[in-house]
Amino acid sequence: MSGVRFRSRASLAASLLVPLALIAIVVGVGAGGTTSFQGTVTLILCNLVIVLGLQVFVGNSGVYSFGQLGFATAGAYVAAFLTLPAAFALLQTPGLPHFIADADLGPLVSTLIAAAASGLLALVVGLPLMRTSTLAIPISTFAFLLVVYNVVANWDRVTGGSGGLVSIPATTSVESAGIWAGAAVLLALAFKWSASGYRLQATREDEVAARSLGINVMRERLIAFAISGVLCGAGGALAVHQSSVLNPTTFYFAATVTTMTMLVIGGARSVFGAVIGAIAIGMVNEVLRGVENGANLLGVISIGAAPGLAAIGLGLILLATMVAMPSGLTGGQEAGELRWICRLRPAKPTTSPSTRGVLADRVPVERSAEGALRAAGISLAFSGLHVLRGIDLDLHPGEALGLVGPNGAGKTTLVNVLSGFQRPDAGAVVLDGADVTGRSPARLARHGLARTFQAALPFPQLSCLESVAVGAMAVGTGRRTAVAVATDVLDRLNLLGQARRPAGSLPPGSQRLLGVARALATRPRYLLLDEPAAGLNEVEREELIAILRKVLRDFGCGVLLIEHDMGMVMEFCPRVQVLDDGITLRTGTPEEVQADPAVIEAYLGSSYPTAVNA
Amino acid sequence: MADLIQNLIDALALGSLYALIALGITLVYTVMGMMNFAHGEFIMLAAYALYVFAGLPFAAAVPVALLTGVLIAVLVERVAFRPVRSADLSAQLVTSLAVATILQNTVSVAVNARAQSVRTPAAISESTTLGSVSVPNLEFVTVGLTAIVLGGLGWLLYRTRTGLAMRAAAEDFEMARLLGVRADRVIAIAFAISGALAAAVGVLIVLQTGQVSPTMGLTPVLIGFVAVVIGGFGRMVGAVAGGLLLGALSSLLGVYLPDGLVPFRDAIVFTFPVLILIFRPHGLLGGEIGRARV
Repeated sequence: MSGVRFRSRASLAASLLVPLALIAIVVGVGAGGTTSFQGTVTLILCNLVIVLGLQVFVGNSGVYSFGQLGFATAGAYVAAFLTLPAAFALLQTPGLPHFIADADLGPLVSTLIAAAASGLLALVVGLPLMRTSTLAIPISTFAFLLVVYNVVANWDRVTGGSGGLVSIPATTSVESAGIWAGAAVLLALAFKWSASGYRLQATREDEVAARSLGINVMRERLIAFAISGVLCGAGGALAVHQSSVLNPTTFYFAATVTTMTMLVIGGARSVFGAVIGAIAIGMVNEVLRGVENGANLLGVISIGAAPGLAAIGLGLILLATMVAMPSGLTGGQEAGELRWICRLRPAKPTTSPSTRGVLADRVPVERSAEGALRAAGISLAFSGLHVLRGIDLDLHPGEALGLVGPNGAGKTTLVNVLSGFQRPDAGAVVLDGADVTGRSPARLARHGLARTFQAALPFPQLSCLESVAVGAMAVGTGRRTAVAVATDVLDRLNLLGQARRPAGSLPPGSQRLLGVARALATRPRYLLLDEPAAGLNEVEREELIAILRKVLRDFGCGVLLIEHDMGMVMEFCPRVQVLDDGITLRTGTPEEVQADPAVIEAYLGSSYPTAVNA
Repeated sequence: MADLIQNLIDALALGSLYALIALGITLVYTVMGMMNFAHGEFIMLAAYALYVFAGLPFAAAVPVALLTGVLIAVLVERVAFRPVRSADLSAQLVTSLAVATILQNTVSVAVNARAQSVRTPAAISESTTLGSVSVPNLEFVTVGLTAIVLGGLGWLLYRTRTGLAMRAAAEDFEMARLLGVRADRVIAIAFAISGALAAAVGVLIVLQTGQVSPTMGLTPVLIGFVAVVIGGFGRMVGAVAGGLLLGALSSLLGVYLPDGLVPFRDAIVFTFPVLILIFRPHGLLGGEIGRARV
């Protein structure tokens, strides 16, 4: 392997060990306390498992789900059914099938089954829900929570109705809850740093860019939703075996607000944040509850019992976090990414990733001169305005085609049609002989068509290396190979020195180049560049042209370069297609195009001389 | 036949109530892009105004309730929502969830966590008989009020300068701002109207149930959200249609569902929109949300 990795070994170790150490401390403190204190600590750890479940989905997708406590409910009831002694089961849940009611399983097996059942439920529920839009998911998951509550509260013969279940064996100890919490931390981190986790994070950072790289947003969300269901179910099962009672409101609205607060205050993007948040809010909650039940503050002010006070406190904390510190205490960083933790170890001179050794590991680029990207008779109108009127276009691997035309000629719209973001009213897009008209951008990307956008659309919270590796992972490349591909691409584009910087911290010109690198990492046969030079200065533009030449030579893909600045196109493209008002005016060499009177009149107009000399 | 008509009128009345809820939520969504979870608490607080001012004649307490709804909405916007105005949708939703929790539990602490009964005028719980159909007076009030509100909103949005500014802000907030629309004012007005709508709903619910409780806003706000989603985000007409549809569904299920399943009515009502979303991910009237920004 090359020397370039997503993170240093020390950072990786800190990210893993700090949260685990924190849990170990909590377990140590809890185990030494009174029985009721042990119970409190155990519940905090059970909640932590649920919060980590929330983190897996919410943190990586950036989409809030208010339904995850429904999976905790499901897990809790399943675990209760499996462990209730048969005599109690008969009394409380007469409607339950005998083989379940009679089952008298141990804590580990019942928790595992409960987790699996919740995961399965999440998969089934997520299948329709993840199809809906980013804004509809919070609402439809909330509806799911209500559905679960309604079913559990009214299915008396099975769930015991609103009265719930009692006498559930209390088998969860501080230690076992701690082990589960530790395992949940490892699972959450493993998912976050898996190919699937990175693809999902890319959709959080920029959904459109992620789709253009080949990421199936719905699929990635569904995977995380199911894993989240597993963890929430396990947390619910563990909690019910601590408190030994369960009713429909155990994991309902109040618990949703509590766990959401825990996640948000720590920083939803971070697993470490979930650990900090769950522990901190768990302790605050305990204090608030003490006050709620009537307390004597400093022996001066005595407060009577006031149910609801704890919830007000939590609400205020949540509100303050959202207003003043939306990224949470950790700023969304893992422990190993936090500066103050990195300072704790002796400073070593940081070496920027060396490019030596990288070259030896270059992933071979497949060249194929076969096939073509073809558009035939593309027409598209927006509410009566004809933007494209029967456009034909041919792009071959290894070729640079310039697409020029004045503003409003339909260039970007054509790229949107070619890349699947817009369905044409008429005409066909043919990719290497297959009709792909109307296919999703993600599918086209997986078939070798990549694009960039006029805006850079970076993944700000991911590092440059991660951003580019996501491109490779988006088309199904494994994580290891993806890193090698990304290193190679970054190296060729002179960006390797920035590998570990967050993409959002780069200057605009580099961000644009990073967009090209990201697209190249999908190893496209066709690359559509939408005004890559916009906003670049003269030096950067020359650099870009040099890099594009290298791309053409090294990667052998066909490049469609869209520009309204003629100069750059003339310099780079041996063939140019001129659009005006939705039709093709002329296709030919730069010289032919420049000499065409129709082009001069319609597009170049009076500014012809300046355009040529630019 | 008479039964059917009766059931349809009941369905229309419940649908009208849901439409009012959905309208209040949509109004804020269109100008601010925020799904306001605390809308349920606006409903609840306005209802509590009726409880607190139980000494007043009911007709006098209603304006007080309306004023409460308006004031709370405007205050919450100023204090809690303005700082997160530029945050993303999810962050705004979580913020409003926090506000909802605070308001709900403040009432729990200040009054009582349990439901309190409120005396309502006798006339409202009587029924009027039309031929073989007997319609509760409250249903006339609900449907009539909804019609008046719809007309009033339509007039405001399409016949006044304020309405023009609001529609412009809904189309393109930044552009409207550049053209001189005063953002703070437009948003404050939207919240004021939304608060008044919530208050109207609160009064109607009290008239129907005769009681108030701190959690009474939870189910209505979820119904409103779901109605907004199935109607297609940010569309007034869609919100009304979604509300009517949900109300009608809920009401008719209550009548025609087999006895054993009646307790699960809410579960069915809330599952139904998901089925719609499978086939129309952007709602029945297809909103603009989720369209690729390319």
